[in-house]
Amino acid sequence: MNDYTSTSKRPVKPKPRARSFFIALVLLALTFWAAIKVSFDISTFWEVWTNPIWSMFWPIPWDWVFTKENTFDPLIETLQIAITSTLVGCLLALPISFAMSSLTTPNKVIYFISKTVMNLVRAVPDLFWAKLLVTAIGIGAFAGAWSLTIFSLAVMVKLFSETVDAADPRPLEAARSSGARHLPAVKAGVLPTVFPSYVAYSLYIFELNIRASVVLGLVGAGGVGRVIETQRQFFRFDRILGMLVIIFGIVWVIEQISVSLRKRLV
Amino acid sequence: METLSDTSTLAKRPPAPKTIHRWFIAIPFLVAIVWSLIGLNITLSRLLDAPGDAWSILRQMVPPAFGEVYERGAVGKIFESVYIAWIGTIIGAFVSLPLAFLAAHNVAPIWIRSPIRQLFNAIRAVPELILAVILIPVTGLGAWAGTIAIGLHSIGTLGKWACESIEDIDEGPVEATRACGGKWVSGMRWGVLPQVMPVISSYWLFRFEINVRASAVLGMIGAGGVGSELVSQLSFRNFPAASAVLIMTMAVVLTIDTISAAVRRRIIKGAVTTDEDSRTLAAITDLTGIRS
Amino acid sequence: MIKIERVSVTYPGGVEALRNVDIEIDEGEFVVIVGLSGAGKSTLLRVLNGLVPATSGSILVDGTEVVNANSQTLRQVRSKTGMIFQTFNLVNRTTVLNNVLMGRLASVPSWRSTLGLWPSEDKEAAMLALERVGIIDKTYVRASNLSGGQQQRVGIARALAQEPSLMLADEPVAALDPVTSRQVMGDLQKINRELGITTLVNLHFLDLAKEYGKRLIGLRDGVLVYDGDIGDVTDETFREIYGRAITSEDLHAMNEEPQQSIGNGK
Repeated sequence: MNDYTSTSKRPVKPKPRARSFFIALVLLALTFWAAIKVSFDISTFWEVWTNPIWSMFWPIPWDWVFTKENTFDPLIETLQIAITSTLVGCLLALPISFAMSSLTTPNKVIYFISKTVMNLVRAVPDLFWAKLLVTAIGIGAFAGAWSLTIFSLAVMVKLFSETVDAADPRPLEAARSSGARHLPAVKAGVLPTVFPSYVAYSLYIFELNIRASVVLGLVGAGGVGRVIETQRQFFRFDRILGMLVIIFGIVWVIEQISVSLRKRLV
Repeated sequence: METLSDTSTLAKRPPAPKTIHRWFIAIPFLVAIVWSLIGLNITLSRLLDAPGDAWSILRQMVPPAFGEVYERGAVGKIFESVYIAWIGTIIGAFVSLPLAFLAAHNVAPIWIRSPIRQLFNAIRAVPELILAVILIPVTGLGAWAGTIAIGLHSIGTLGKWACESIEDIDEGPVEATRACGGKWVSGMRWGVLPQVMPVISSYWLFRFEINVRASAVLGMIGAGGVGSELVSQLSFRNFPAASAVLIMTMAVVLTIDTISAAVRRRIIKGAVTTDEDSRTLAAITDLTGIRS
Repeated sequence: MIKIERVSVTYPGGVEALRNVDIEIDEGEFVVIVGLSGAGKSTLLRVLNGLVPATSGSILVDGTEVVNANSQTLRQVRSKTGMIFQTFNLVNRTTVLNNVLMGRLASVPSWRSTLGLWPSEDKEAAMLALERVGIIDKTYVRASNLSGGQQQRVGIARALAQEPSLMLADEPVAALDPVTSRQVMGDLQKINRELGITTLVNLHFLDLAKEYGKRLIGLRDGVLVYDGDIGDVTDETFREIYGRAITSEDLHAMNEEPQQSIGNGK
């Protein structure tokens, strides 16, 4: 039968709520206001290509870049900073993540304290920590290592506590039901399941730390960043570009190794 | 299959597996760690000294000098950081979305998507700070340099995340649009977009949270925002003022984080089916015996 | 051995899982508990070792009061109580041996189990338990590589390694096929007869109960509706427990999908 005349009462299309409309309007107004405040200048997008500054990036003085003193020693320092801070930061993050997870926390007080402290730590932009530590401890790799340790701690805690939260709670129940105390129960029942993720995150954080050390140098915290900052003040962008090429080449290699290692873990 | 008291055919115990290969993995790690510690000159005395220095500075930071900092216009600077992050994220979001479609392997052919993916990776690899360093000579000091730096970097990260979401979708609705005669664009608009928009828009918000921190940092090299304030206070060793700036920044970051997290939860909750929830429910039910 | 007096359990959400239950169980008994999902079977088992706190009443396990006991007392009770779970609750990523060793968590110092330095007598106890259930050849196999029936045997071995005086089995065969179910039930029966361990088993289906049980306890909506010899079960009993008449499908319940019971409440 092709009789498509409607016999049932048609529903009324739900009106969009006035509230959503209002919110959208406010957001739009805020956006325009923000755009003005940051001196939004659309002409930049085409002017930038013709700026004479690009000539300062070229040619790359490879003879300067490929020296031990200018690039490779700072790179070694960067690697050492990255290794140390990844190690310490991730080690500290392990118990803190367990304390912060509702699944594995021993009691409410520890849970609350660790969550609050970590929220506060993460609310501070990472380079602010670096600048603070440089002021407190002095310029150099030591401050850089401490900064990246805090950075590693923050990232690992965020990633790992979410993994622990999502872990299978049932082996933990089995461990508790056999009369184990809290710590052995967590170690036997939860840790084996989440450990591969922990190692994978550590490798990832190691990569992040190498990249971050480039940036850290801009506040004087050692590694290749320090050299880059010095060169920046002399406007030697050609040297900087050369160093960046080498650095990111190495980062890329490490990344490939890290990705393949991580795939085998999880 | 044997059961309990069937000890007549007692099976032999298998030999314990060798653990020597563990050492092959552990030793390079240990070597690297020791090498790093030595290289950085991390002696016990320096380790013990460092907290002492930090502690004395910590004591000087209390009480924070809120009044002084307020007079210097720090509040405006913090808002400037937020504006920078906001516009930067918007630039990143709007540019990355169409590019992400073109980078997805279920949407575009390889000769389009490969260069775009490489572009994403290249941009992602450059930290915002370095981008800002390069841009400042071009745009001059100030908020705009910071905004573009954040916008550009966000194109990379948002592009990659969006691309992964697009590749993760259920192809069913796309097939359906094609089956009723729709064009490719309709397939994207009606088949793909409704599925990925909740996840992608929550990524946008997440990126905004990160960008607020990034823009605060960019101020430290003069690209606008509260970072410059912190640097100048620290350079004068005016610790009460520095801590005031720090605390105010933290407060703003935490507020934005909380609001953004709540909005993101709402977006995801409204969109997703009960898969995730029912697994959690099953686990809770198993544990406690409550059926809810 | 077990004395449950006027025990009620109300969960935080308001659900009344057990209402005024009175049960006495002697040492060495083999008791089967049946009832619909949500009837309170799982709660009844868990209230015996304190995994679920009783809201009111008294529970004596081997002379020790469990209700409102402190955590140390609970741990002592649990170390003597082996528990077997419907979903096995094994740590999938690690070996069978490590899973069984979880049963010894209560009898070794925390630092030893956390570092994995098990004393030889505990390793021996674990091996003996594995020999008893007949899967010693799988000692170093990863738990996730075993079949369902084998995994449940690991669960039984874990409970045996505790050298318990009480065995609680929470729907141990619900996730297994009929043939494997009978093997596992047979194992439980043998443990009870040869080692004299008091055994309580939750089951869904009356057929297994009739084959392996001697004493039957029926629960419905948290209330005890039957407590007696399994041979005395009539149609009337069935209706009281399950709320409807018995059908031929119930007697041949092995045709039903065991998967249905996973994830349901008890």
